[in-house]
Parts: sequence; structure tokens; C-alpha cells
Amino acid sequence: MSERNANATDGAAGPTAMPDLAELCRLHDVGIDLIERSHDVDDLLDKVLEEYERRLTELPADAFDSRGGAVPGPVSGKIRALVMFATQAAALKARAASATEMRLKSERLEEMNRRLESALTEAETSRLRLDTVLSSIDAGVMILSPEGRVLRANRAARELLGVPEDVTLAWTAPAVLDSVPREGDAEVRLDDASGTARTLAVSRRTLDPATRDEVVHVADVSRRTREIEERHRLEKLAEVLKTLGVLSHKINNPLTSLLGRAQILMVKKDLDPQVTKAAAVISESAGRIAELIRELALVVKEGRQEAVEKLLEMHPASGEEGGRS
Amino acid sequence: MRILSRRTGNVVHLCFEGGDALDSVSAPSVKAGALECLAEPAHLVVDLTGIEFVDSAGIGALVSIFKTGRARGLTIRLAGAHPNVRAVLEIIKLDQIFEVHDDAEALVRELAVTDRN
Repeated sequence: MSERNANATDGAAGPTAMPDLAELCRLHDVGIDLIERSHDVDDLLDKVLEEYERRLTELPADAFDSRGGAVPGPVSGKIRALVMFATQAAALKARAASATEMRLKSERLEEMNRRLESALTEAETSRLRLDTVLSSIDAGVMILSPEGRVLRANRAARELLGVPEDVTLAWTAPAVLDSVPREGDAEVRLDDASGTARTLAVSRRTLDPATRDEVVHVADVSRRTREIEERHRLEKLAEVLKTLGVLSHKINNPLTSLLGRAQILMVKKDLDPQVTKAAAVISESAGRIAELIRELALVVKEGRQEAVEKLLEMHPASGEEGGRS
Repeated sequence: MRILSRRTGNVVHLCFEGGDALDSVSAPSVKAGALECLAEPAHLVVDLTGIEFVDSAGIGALVSIFKTGRARGLTIRLAGAHPNVRAVLEIIKLDQIFEVHDDAEALVRELAVTDRN
């Protein structure tokens, strides 16, 4: 009887070193095949419990006295073997429980991984969808860091701000955006590569309060601006033409009287020759003014600025080329 | 000895009446009666209150109940063991395999609440 077995027999306090299972089988005539048939901890525990139960049946009914103590003698060896099997079974039970817990944790982890992968796939699909949409629109969209570095920019943003495709990100936002306040809107003018002026409507908004990233919206409103400017120009032209119309009418009346009087003087025979000559000059000048008034009336009627400019080219101011004193 | 079973939620409380020994005489009926209760419940509490003596056959019945319950995914717990019975369990190290509790009623209530939550 080994010291280890003796300790197990009298139930002394203190841990008993777990016997090597092969030694256990050898000592108690349990074939190694018991172990070899067991392909997992749960199966091995079942077999150890079976052996425990079998050995219990080998014990006499009075193996335990009325006070619960072991009966010494030949039966004590069997009880010791029983104790060893119980100890082994307890260890296997703990391992089996631990293995079950690990398996459940692993299954939960696998499930979490599947869900995470699914969520990531869905997020990636959404991102690609969003990228496709952003690439197709004519408005520029950019994400800026708090330091003003461009984190993302769609095709339209790069085109509108004149940034080539091969410029990597972490590119600093164009200086033209400096004039647009944070959380604000403004129109900025920018010359494109061909030197054509563009008007861009820019909006800056906070995208994420936590990171202070911004989203910038850029739209080309040049056409709208030109249309507005053209409308203003036409309105001014209309005012000019209206004024010309009024002036020509106001000038025409006294001019007609002037021309008439001059022509009357010219046909009088008893006038001083200098007066007649002066009347002729007045008549000629009045005639020229009348012609100018008629041409202005035509411009007013047609409403074309080109006609006004042409008129001005044809009748330059006094002292310029073609002018008469 | 008669075997009584009472269900509280998912807990079956098995107790014994009409005897104070779990031995070679009562062990077979105890084993058979307990096995009938192992079909559905998640927890089986074997109430040893009143049992003052247990022999190898009685221990064998408890081990058999434990094995069968384990195979069916059940948890088997002992409760209310008399000091004599507890001493036997400790000698043959079955207290390392079985969970042995002091109060069977309290254990049943605790298991039933845990399951509800």
C-alpha cells in the first residue's frame, strides 16, 4: 500500500496528488482500452463512472458502518480504488464542464463573428452604394478633418476645385474655402484651368460633433450667376432704352421747330447773306441731329445693345475721329 | 419506501417517504423512480432528508441516477444529507462529483428563480 493510497483511505485532510491514469488502470486491473475507447472528456467521465458503479457493486452492503466510517480489512483496498476513481471522475467532470463552457463560449463567439461579418459586409455594400451615388452626382461632397485636411472627396468636388485625380488624400482643402465660415454658406469665385471664372456655392456643416469632421457641399452656380447677371444687364439696357426713347421724343419736338425755322429763313430772299448762311448751317446740324434721333428711335424699337454700340461708333463724341465742331 | 416528486418550474424535487435508509432494499425502487423523472426537467434535486443510512447499493443508485441524468443533459444535486450520509459521501469522494447542499427547499427555490431569470 502506497503512502498515497493510505492517505486516501483514512480521509485525511489535505489534497491527494492525482494518480497517473495509466498507473491507476495498471494497479486496479482496468484495461488501457478504457482510455483508448474514450475519445473525449465526457466519454471518459462516463466510463470512469461506470467503473465506479461496477466497483460499488463489488463492495459488501456493510462496507460503510452505521456511523458512515469505512470498515477496515480486505474491503479497504476496494474502497481506496473507489476513492481514486471518484477523484478522477471529479477532475474529469470539472474538465468536461470547462470544455462545455469553452465550447459554448466558442459558439457564441462564432455567432458574434458571423454577425459582425454580416454587418461589415452590409456596411461595405452601403459604402459602395454611397460611393457610386456620390461619384455620379454633379455636386461636390468632401469630408474635412478639423485641421482642414481632405479625408474624402467625390469626383465632382475634385473637378470643381481643380484637383487632379492622382492627388492622394490628406490633401489640404483649397484656400478658396477659407472664405466660407464653419457652419456657413457662401459663394466663391474661382478660375478653372482654362481661365474661365466659375461661381461656386459652398456650404460647410459639422458631420460628427465628436470628431469635429466637416462635410462640405460644393455646387457650380456659374450658369445661374451668369443668368442673373444677364438679366441685370438686360434690365439696365431696358432702362437705358426707355430713357433714350423719352429723350428722343423730347428732343424731337424742339428740333423740328428749329429745323423748320431754319428752312424758312433759307428760302427768304431779302435776308443778309450771313443770316442765310447761318440758317443753312443750323438746318444741316439740325438735320444731323434729327437723323441721330431717328436712329436712336430705331434702337429703342429694336432693343438691341449692339445697335446702341454701333450708333456710338458711327457718331463719336466731338473732338474724336469723325466728329465735327 | 415511497418516492415523491414535486415540480417547481423546471425543477423536480425528489424526496423519500416511509424509510430512513437508502440501501440494497430500497435502492432499486429509488433508482427506477428517479429515472422516470429524468425525461424533461433541467434540474433534479434528490432530497435525502430523513435518510440516515446509506450502503454501497444506495450509493450505486445515486451514481446511476447521476450518470443517466448527465447523459440526458440534466443536472443532479443532492440536498439535506444526514451527517452519517454526508460522511460516507466524503469518504468515497462522491462529494467531489455530486453537488451536496444543506437545504433542499431553498435549493429548489434558488434553481427555479435562476431559470425564470
